[in-house]
Amino acid sequence: MSAVTEPAAASATPTRPTEPSKAKVTLTWITLVVIFGGAAWLSNAKWSEITDVFTEGWRYLGLMGEGLFQNPFSEPWSGYWTLAFERMMESVYMAWIGTMIGAVISIPFGFLAARNVSGPVTVQITRAFLNLIRAIPELVFAIIIMLPVFGFGPVAGTVALGVGAVGTLGKLTAEALEGIDPGPVEAARASGAKGLPVLRWAYWSQVLPEVVAFWLYRFEVNIRASAVLGIIGAGGVGQLLGQLFGQREWEQIGITLAVVIVVTLIVDAISGAIRHRIIAGSGQHVSSKEKAEANL
Amino acid sequence: MTSEVTTAQAPVTQRPKKPAPSIPVIAGLVLAAVFTWWAGHSMGFSLRPLIENWSNGWVVIEQFLSPNWPFIWRVWDAWVETIAIAIVATFVGAGLGLLFAFMASRVTNRSGWLYRATRWFLSVLRSLPDIAYVLIFVALVGVGSLAGILALILFNIGIAAKLTSETIDAIDRGPLEAVDAAGSGTWSRARWAVLPQILPNYLSYFLYVFELNIRSSVVIGIAGGGGIGQVINVQFSRFEYENVSAIVVALFVVVLLIDQLSQYLRRRFV
Repeated sequence: MSAVTEPAAASATPTRPTEPSKAKVTLTWITLVVIFGGAAWLSNAKWSEITDVFTEGWRYLGLMGEGLFQNPFSEPWSGYWTLAFERMMESVYMAWIGTMIGAVISIPFGFLAARNVSGPVTVQITRAFLNLIRAIPELVFAIIIMLPVFGFGPVAGTVALGVGAVGTLGKLTAEALEGIDPGPVEAARASGAKGLPVLRWAYWSQVLPEVVAFWLYRFEVNIRASAVLGIIGAGGVGQLLGQLFGQREWEQIGITLAVVIVVTLIVDAISGAIRHRIIAGSGQHVSSKEKAEANL
Repeated sequence: MTSEVTTAQAPVTQRPKKPAPSIPVIAGLVLAAVFTWWAGHSMGFSLRPLIENWSNGWVVIEQFLSPNWPFIWRVWDAWVETIAIAIVATFVGAGLGLLFAFMASRVTNRSGWLYRATRWFLSVLRSLPDIAYVLIFVALVGVGSLAGILALILFNIGIAAKLTSETIDAIDRGPLEAVDAAGSGTWSRARWAVLPQILPNYLSYFLYVFELNIRSSVVIGIAGGGGIGQVINVQFSRFEYENVSAIVVALFVVVLLIDQLSQYLRRRFV
């Protein structure tokens, strides 16, 4: 304190810098409030019914809990647990195969959409195509093509997930390819390599870890997306959830949601660990770096 | 070929030995192959219908190729509703997400148990798909946009909190040290040392969440959460594919426009 007052007394102009005007900030806040209020009104939501969330919510939560705390080995409950687990695994399988399909198809598109691999016209066309796929939800693919062709069931959902994954994976692969070190490419060219060998040994080997991490990430996303597809009859745990909510079987809903949460968390943990291992390498020097950061 | 050239010039040069194949990688690949086979087998995966039943699909695709354009304007209310739902859910969800983000980072939350509890809560929140939230809220408050808004809010909290807390973890520690040295408390520390640093990133996450909400409007509506998805659901169940395709194309345009708008806002403010 004293250190501040002394030089202030010594210098002739002890003025504080003037505070910047707050008009802009106030105006921004007013705009945001107006947008929010307008949207809340235009959304046609019956806001008075929001109290139901708390009154009904507790009752249903209690019913769900009741289902969870029944002896899982006694009669109807053991069947509920098995059914939920079987359907959830079906969702996991759908997500996995869908990701595989998407990954395989996205590789050539990734190369075609990378500026340092393909010509500008090819890049623009491929990017537009990938954006188109990204903008259409999987649900729409499933409705338009997959259900009429494959019929109701998990295969339709799987193919829809695969096609949907091409957009994101292709874009991410292209971005990874654009970020590579040009050194190895020059080296490969200098040693006389042309065409595919350059792509395989100079481009692809540099992006492989990153791309595999994207695939695993997409797999995690697809597990959630596969639940959505179930609602229109494309298999998996979503189909079961749709039926249960229709019949208001709250005990069984509780069990099914618990299975969904646990399986998703386990798959996320495994996939996340593999992703970190792939990106970070063997992990010895990285772990010491992380420790150093944690100490800060 | 290259090895011949080099050995001819310098007899001592040896090619480096090929590294031995890594056992964990091979085991992992075998495991992935087995899992793929098992997954495909257990759901009876086959691409044969793609060739055999192509004509079934073609009938629907043909209807899709002649969209009923005027229908887009007939459901004007549903479009407004979709955008309004997305705006409300983004404001509330991303706002609460910011609060949870501060609680889910070691930098701003110095209470060990609260930090762990928040992380745990957020990962449970994220593990459920958006459709599950819509189903829950439709059961609680009935079919309509309120259910959609509430479901999207929960869904948005998870995403916004995860992205923002990761940004908080990576901030520059200088301002933190400064406010700590000045003896600030938890709130002013978060407000004056952390928030100004993460604000640009947070704004771009905010816009990203808004885009996601527009994209998921189809899902929300099909499960009974209001908006344009509900129209798609009704038209789909009546097999009015021309109407569905007009809406899908329009939705694509809306998503593109919002992408452009948020890119502009990002450039402007971030």
